[in-house]
Amino acid sequence: MSPFLLTLNDVVMQGEPLGEGAATGLVGQLSSYMVVSGILFVLGVATIITRRNALYVLMGTELILNAANINFVAFARFGGFGIDGQMMALVVVMLAAAEAAVALAIVLRVFHDFGSIDITRTDSLRD
Amino acid sequence: MDFMFIVFAGLAVLGGLVMAFHQSIVHSAFGLVGALFGVAGLYWTMGADFLGGLQVLLYVGGVTVLLLFAVMLSTRDSTRLALSRYVLVAPVVGLLGMFIFQAYRGVYQVVQVLGVQGPEAPQPTTQQIGELLLSPDGYLVPFELVAVLLLLVLIGAVTIARRGQEQDEDQGQPAGTESGGTP
Repeated sequence: MSPFLLTLNDVVMQGEPLGEGAATGLVGQLSSYMVVSGILFVLGVATIITRRNALYVLMGTELILNAANINFVAFARFGGFGIDGQMMALVVVMLAAAEAAVALAIVLRVFHDFGSIDITRTDSLRD
Repeated sequence: MDFMFIVFAGLAVLGGLVMAFHQSIVHSAFGLVGALFGVAGLYWTMGADFLGGLQVLLYVGGVTVLLLFAVMLSTRDSTRLALSRYVLVAPVVGLLGMFIFQAYRGVYQVVQVLGVQGPEAPQPTTQQIGELLLSPDGYLVPFELVAVLLLLVLIGAVTIARRGQEQDEDQGQPAGTESGGTP
């Protein structure tokens, strides 16, 4: 089967290459965390795409970073990679906090200059 | 499946759904609080106790309060969603989700081939993390870089947020009660 051809069976990860018993064992636990992470990631992307308010874009970014962090910690726990995944997640949390502080300051500036935080209206550099 | 996993995963997904689809931005912000707390609970179910506590302190306590302040300071309209935007965006998001799960499936098979060993019972991780953060062959350099970055962020955020007030004072408009100490 072509690797780019998806069936519903592949999406829910119950295809035949995984072997029996995988869904109840350790890898099954890992995959359930990965599914939650994927759902959160897609919700964050949907928020970023659909909203025009800059604060929604920030909230979607936070959700995406958290989805990535779940994967880091899940692989550290179930993938046999020790505690390094947790250290990466720690750095990501710190950077996300810094990003939120700077981005909210920028949002306040944009609101002050444009009277709105609609990201489609902040186009004074366009022409 | 683990009961606590279901509880916290449900909280995370439910909060994410509220954040993505609710009309009011304040409700969306509280949906984000629920999602972040659910993620902290998922950390706890994976034995990452320190990281879960940090998540609650930093995200649920800090970032969300910042977000709510920004909402109160800047939002006039609730920026209603049009259904047409969802119709346009749905195929993009659906394709993205399918690609993500396909990539996950690849990683999943690789991990299975490597042969993971069973996880030992979860240990307290605070001491390990502290030792790794301060040991030169561990994460000492990223730790110090993050410290410098946080200082830069502190100065930068204050600078960006204050620049508007200085322009107001130049234009002769009253800039509220704050007046002073600008270098």
